[in-house]
Amino acid sequence: MAHNLTNSEIERYSRQLIIPDYGIESQNKLKSSSILIIGCGGLGCPSALYLSTAGIGRLGLVDDDTIEISNIHRQIAHDENKIGISKAQNLADRCKALNSLVKYEVHNILFTKTTALNLIEQYPFLFLSIYCTDNVITRYLINDVCVLLGKPLVSGSALKFEGQLTVYNYLNGPCYRCLYPTAPPAHAVSNCSDAGILGPIVGMIGSLQALEAIKVVAEIGTCLNGRMMIFDGFDFLTRIIKLRPRQIETCLMCKSVLSRENLTKKDREEILENFDYIEFCGVSNYNDKSINISILSDKKRINCSDYKNFTESHLLIDVRPKCQFNICSLPNSLNIPFDDFVYNEEKVVENIRDKLGNEKSIFLVCRRGNDSQLAVEILEKHFNDKEIKDLIGGLQTWSKEIEPDFPKY
Amino acid sequence: MDSISIKVLFFGKARDLVGVGQKDVDILHSNLKANEFLEIIISKFPRLEEIKSSTKLSLNEEYVEMNDVLSLKSGDEIAVIPPISGG
Repeated sequence: MAHNLTNSEIERYSRQLIIPDYGIESQNKLKSSSILIIGCGGLGCPSALYLSTAGIGRLGLVDDDTIEISNIHRQIAHDENKIGISKAQNLADRCKALNSLVKYEVHNILFTKTTALNLIEQYPFLFLSIYCTDNVITRYLINDVCVLLGKPLVSGSALKFEGQLTVYNYLNGPCYRCLYPTAPPAHAVSNCSDAGILGPIVGMIGSLQALEAIKVVAEIGTCLNGRMMIFDGFDFLTRIIKLRPRQIETCLMCKSVLSRENLTKKDREEILENFDYIEFCGVSNYNDKSINISILSDKKRINCSDYKNFTESHLLIDVRPKCQFNICSLPNSLNIPFDDFVYNEEKVVENIRDKLGNEKSIFLVCRRGNDSQLAVEILEKHFNDKEIKDLIGGLQTWSKEIEPDFPKY
Repeated sequence: MDSISIKVLFFGKARDLVGVGQKDVDILHSNLKANEFLEIIISKFPRLEEIKSSTKLSLNEEYVEMNDVLSLKSGDEIAVIPPISGG
């Protein structure tokens, strides 16, 4: 058959070309296709590396973040010598070293309402996006843009020992919003830096995203549209859950696209503009950074240097989960995980009353200074004759400002 | 009437809140709505209240809507699947 592969491409891709169900036709389609990968972290790295070596025509890489040492255990394209470098740029460089025939485009930007449509519109031949992002607003936003532009979306997510994989908005399969019309409450969503993630989990899900992308582009095999793979690596359990088809009646985005013919660029912008993502998701940031909240008045808080100079005897309670307390802790601190405050309040109060003796002050500390504030609010109800304060900025600030040798994680 | 034993799998946040990945749950009636089943598990594991509004359930590897009437028999598998979003 007619194809546009050169001899060196035939040699390079020979091991996949000789698979009967793949063949030169699939390679041709790959070569003339573009893929945008949003997020160049744990999932984005293996996705991009495999799509690059497979010979996709053009690969766009989006991420506004830079490489940190705590990324490297899972973000397999980034290395020790590249700390502080742009993730998108570094991933493009790594891919280029593997396959220089691919056209790479680096987008060092945050994916927001204002950048989303414009970015994807720079890809006239865009076939699909892969998203590998840690943030709920971004997940809905990318989904919505894909629905508005009629692009399939290969979606992966991973946390701790678990992963999920599906293809949204493809061949009558549902979109993310069809499946989850209500955003999870902000406190019920964890990101990798708070809940943790194991490298091989994102490695597996990211690699499978590349596989699904290849199949969508080459139009071969049976993709995961209309189904979702759920993988629990801890007990090694896999389930492929059958999904409902696209919800034309109830899904806000699918409804708005299918109820009108020929959406113009302006229509799309208006639909996105009119949707309040921040209210819908109950969070205010588009990135995957943890937010520092401030709910207590200043007089109920103490900064790290004042605490260091506080010489009177007192009770210091560390409200982090036990597994974090086991990594490092301040001397003489008592570990009572914040979950216990919420679910076993009476028992916690009894325990503290026991340990408190004649102390006049209780200080609360956690990793970043968020849960410790909430714990102050709970204890205030029970100990109104005591001074109760939280350590501003938690152990992260302690490590930064007071004790540089204190472990950072 | 004999009770019906359902194998319940907990994924993501649901697993954290329950503390284990899998539990057998006995129910008394075979016909009930998905949200009624969810209420039964929440009564056994109250912390699941937190994800009640955003979680999905599947019955024998097929998603169900909260208003669907489930016709359950012993050995059926129900999974509690909240969205996860790490990447």
